[in-house]
Amino acid sequence: MQLIEVKDLKKGFGTVSVLTNICFTVNQGDVIAVIGPSGAGKSTMLRCLIDLEQVDGGSIFVESEPLVKDGIYPSRTSRRKITAKMGMVFQNFNLFPHLSVRKNLIMPLMTVKKVSQSDAETLALQMLSKVGMEEKIDAMPNALSGGQKQRVAIARALMMNPDILLFDEPTSALDPELTGEVLAVMKQLASDRVTMIVVTHEMSFARDVATRVLFMSDGCITEEGLPQELFSAPKHPRTQAFLRSVMEN
Amino acid sequence: MDANAILTTTLALMQGLGVVLLLFAVVLAASMPLGFFLTLLARCRILPVRWIVNAYIYVIRATPLMLQLFFIYFGLPYINKALTFSALTAALLGYSLNYAAYFAEIFRGGLLSVDKGQYEAAKVLGLNRVQATIKVILPQMFRVALPSITNESITLVKDTALVFSITIPEIIYYAKAAVSRTGNVYPYAIAFLIYLAVNSLLQWFFNWLERKTAY
Ligand SMILES: Nc1ncnc2c1ncn2[C@@H]1O[C@H](COP(=O)(O)OP(=O)(O)OP(=O)(O)O)[C@@H](O)[C@H]1O
Ligand SMILES: [Mg+2]
Repeated sequence: MQLIEVKDLKKGFGTVSVLTNICFTVNQGDVIAVIGPSGAGKSTMLRCLIDLEQVDGGSIFVESEPLVKDGIYPSRTSRRKITAKMGMVFQNFNLFPHLSVRKNLIMPLMTVKKVSQSDAETLALQMLSKVGMEEKIDAMPNALSGGQKQRVAIARALMMNPDILLFDEPTSALDPELTGEVLAVMKQLASDRVTMIVVTHEMSFARDVATRVLFMSDGCITEEGLPQELFSAPKHPRTQAFLRSVMEN
Repeated sequence: MDANAILTTTLALMQGLGVVLLLFAVVLAASMPLGFFLTLLARCRILPVRWIVNAYIYVIRATPLMLQLFFIYFGLPYINKALTFSALTAALLGYSLNYAAYFAEIFRGGLLSVDKGQYEAAKVLGLNRVQATIKVILPQMFRVALPSITNESITLVKDTALVFSITIPEIIYYAKAAVSRTGNVYPYAIAFLIYLAVNSLLQWFFNWLERKTAY
């Protein structure tokens, strides 16, 4: 089943064009790795999908409903209904620092979906155990390591029961020794058939976990394919150059 | 000068304390929400609204509170007889409008300090703007603003001395009266101690609040 369809997406900031004619589709169970050099527009593309940025043109359909159609947006309410099908995990976690882990998880659910506190707490425990963080339920975010924060952020996103999870470089702000615990959680989600779009510099994740890889450069999807194809035999020179440079490091 | 006289004088000064506490409580309760409302209006998409709010904040902060009180108490009745207020009402109004402008500035700084990612996280979790403001932004803004709020509160206690200028007797008024009655300046020392006690209590309370809301 097709969950996301993006057609001819265009986006600029001021006079600078950042995304040009982005087209792709995401199916149920896909794990899409988005790779590419810095400034290629990967984050911007992800932010357009969840309505943190407005596009200048093109269409985004989420489960066949238009978040934007030919550059025209519906009302804010219907946009919120559509973006509610997605969750997002940020590079800097963006946990709410004034709330405990427990409250970070239950507050949005109780506020948005009017779920009772006891139901929300039951779910919070489930989600925290998924990411191995149930012991920290009463901790404040500042008391957690980066890897722990990101796992809590993933649990918080899962609380809203999204059909699609978006990740923007979820491990880039972490010390190298902490990336593993977050990648392990994401791997587990992938094997649970959670649909994900992951912007990442972790090539091993893209190669081993993704079902499809998009390579972006200069605001375009330059190349797209199965991980084994794209990594072992990249067709486009830009892809070849990029892979060569990241493999060297 | 015996203990009895000191007690009598202290009790006399305490009459003034009532006005101080009333002003303090009402003005704080009115000016903080009003100030926050001004902060929001100053970010409004309609430009003229922003201009008016910013001009208001600017004028209030650039002129003495005493003149503002004069304007409300003595000036407004000239403009329109219906705008005649009792001295106390004029004081409550004047102080609240004045402090709202200062709080608006404080809250503006507090809002700026909240990371953009917090709005974005709230949004992608499905919170609408009002929910995000109440549940995510306000608590963090308040935490940042708390030291400045403490400052303003302490200043407010001291500023209440100005109500005397529109004929409301307060602590210093009673102290003055006691000085001329007794021919001794010790009532001023008592006034000094009363202000010190009130503000020490306030400082203690805000310190506690700061610890309690720390994260
Ligand atoms: N809010 C903004 N205002 C102006 N320009 C922006 C804004 N956000 C991004 N850009 C520009 O858009 C381009 C794409 O940025 P984007 O963050 O999407 O790249 P990226 O592929 O995610 O890069 P990175 O790997 O460094 O995260 C960059 O040139 C960037 O400077
Ligand atoms: Mg990025």
